[in-house]
Amino acid sequence: MSVQRPRNGWVIWLSLVLALLLGVAPLPTFMEIGRPLWVALFLSYWVLYLPHRVGMTTAWVLGLLQDVLYGSLLGQNALILTLIIFLVLSLHQRLRMFPLWQQSLVLLVVYGIAQLVQLWLNALTGNRPPTLAFILPALVSALLWPWVAAILRGLQQRLGIH
Amino acid sequence: MRLLVLAVLSVALMVVDARLEVLKPVRSQMGLVVAPFYWVAGLPVRLWDAVTEQFNSRSELLAENEKLKAEALLMQRRLQKLAALTEQNVRLRELLNSAALVDEKVLVSELIGVDPNPFTHRIIIDKGSRDGVFLGQPVLDARGLMGQVVEVMPYSSRVLLLTDTTHSIPVQVNRNGLRAIASGTGNPERLELRHVADTADIKEGDLLVSSGLDQRFPAGYPVATVKEVIHDSGQPFAIVRAVPTAALNRSRYMLLVFSDQRTPEQRASDSAEAEARAEQDQQRAGQAAETEPGEAPTAGDAVQAGEAPQQAPAQPQAPSTSSNQPGGAQ
Repeated sequence: MSVQRPRNGWVIWLSLVLALLLGVAPLPTFMEIGRPLWVALFLSYWVLYLPHRVGMTTAWVLGLLQDVLYGSLLGQNALILTLIIFLVLSLHQRLRMFPLWQQSLVLLVVYGIAQLVQLWLNALTGNRPPTLAFILPALVSALLWPWVAAILRGLQQRLGIH
Repeated sequence: MRLLVLAVLSVALMVVDARLEVLKPVRSQMGLVVAPFYWVAGLPVRLWDAVTEQFNSRSELLAENEKLKAEALLMQRRLQKLAALTEQNVRLRELLNSAALVDEKVLVSELIGVDPNPFTHRIIIDKGSRDGVFLGQPVLDARGLMGQVVEVMPYSSRVLLLTDTTHSIPVQVNRNGLRAIASGTGNPERLELRHVADTADIKEGDLLVSSGLDQRFPAGYPVATVKEVIHDSGQPFAIVRAVPTAALNRSRYMLLVFSDQRTPEQRASDSAEAEARAEQDQQRAGQAAETEPGEAPTAGDAVQAGEAPQQAPAQPQAPSTSSNQPGGAQ
């Protein structure tokens, strides 16, 4: 096997920028509480299927960008995204074998853990949400996973990204 | 292994960012990307607004025009009165030798984004350090105080709203001057007054204005109106709830106030200097009046020096204001 040059790598970056944009897009107030973790969703897909292209360092850099966008402490979202990607990476051999709905269930747990860490970090900085609603984004993200995965897989196959 | 390295790096960054000032300039530069991001994210909404505006019917526009004209007329009438009142206020303040400004400089800015976290009340506006925005700057809309700037980036800045759970502002009841502290509750329509005595004279409908005691918000701007006062004998203090007068979650345009360019330390040193100068003047005047030099540092003189800032400048200024009067009338 000859070493293949990365093809269409920009699509990965474009999708991640899109995820960042979706993360700050205005939403009606009642939906804001369940805003999906777009960046985590998109990153999870790329890590799952192209682990040699996207890894924890990418996640960390994206997390820093998120911190700047949201105005949270530098490193807060970076830590959480790195954690998510670490969990996905360590499970990725198994996850790739699962059907989509089973992947959703595993990711629900992963995102739930991440949201819990987020809650702890927020409590440390004094912005503690008073409700259990912090788990909602994880739930919404898990429900969105099959669609995101299907769209990104279509994109990947169409453009032949390796 | 890599997780460990990155996690330690993140934690270190968080600690440095929270405790030290080193990262502030880096952060502010990284903030350059924030404005375009929020701008692009808000693009669909703005496009929709523009399209609906394009297709607004002619009659609606005419009606709006009519309404605005009527409003302008009302405002102008009020302005005429205001000019006279401002003049009077300036004169009275001069008599009192007060340094407080009557009119502040303002800068209009536009909302470009709302913080995606539903538990914090922060917004992003399109003016930054290039426009002279500074940390802690008060932000108003047409109806009252909105909040203060908490992060300055080159072309944008982040504003913490009054209703955020981490925000409090000293206020005064406009009717009788009663002081209190209004804290955010995390509900965009609700402020709570902390530690108000059960017997305090405060009631439903009272207007709360900023008291300026924090030396950050200018005094006298409307903050909220009291919605309910609950006297619960089981509680040590009365529970007072108020509704912010500013449209915190609806305003699109807001004003940044430049009331005083000096920092609190500069202000303190300036006032100390002025006091010292007044004291010297007083001493010199005392010596000129042929009192014995030995008496200067006694307790009696200290009392006089304390009164000096009120007395001494008022006398020379009284003629100057009266000479200004004809000039102002012409």
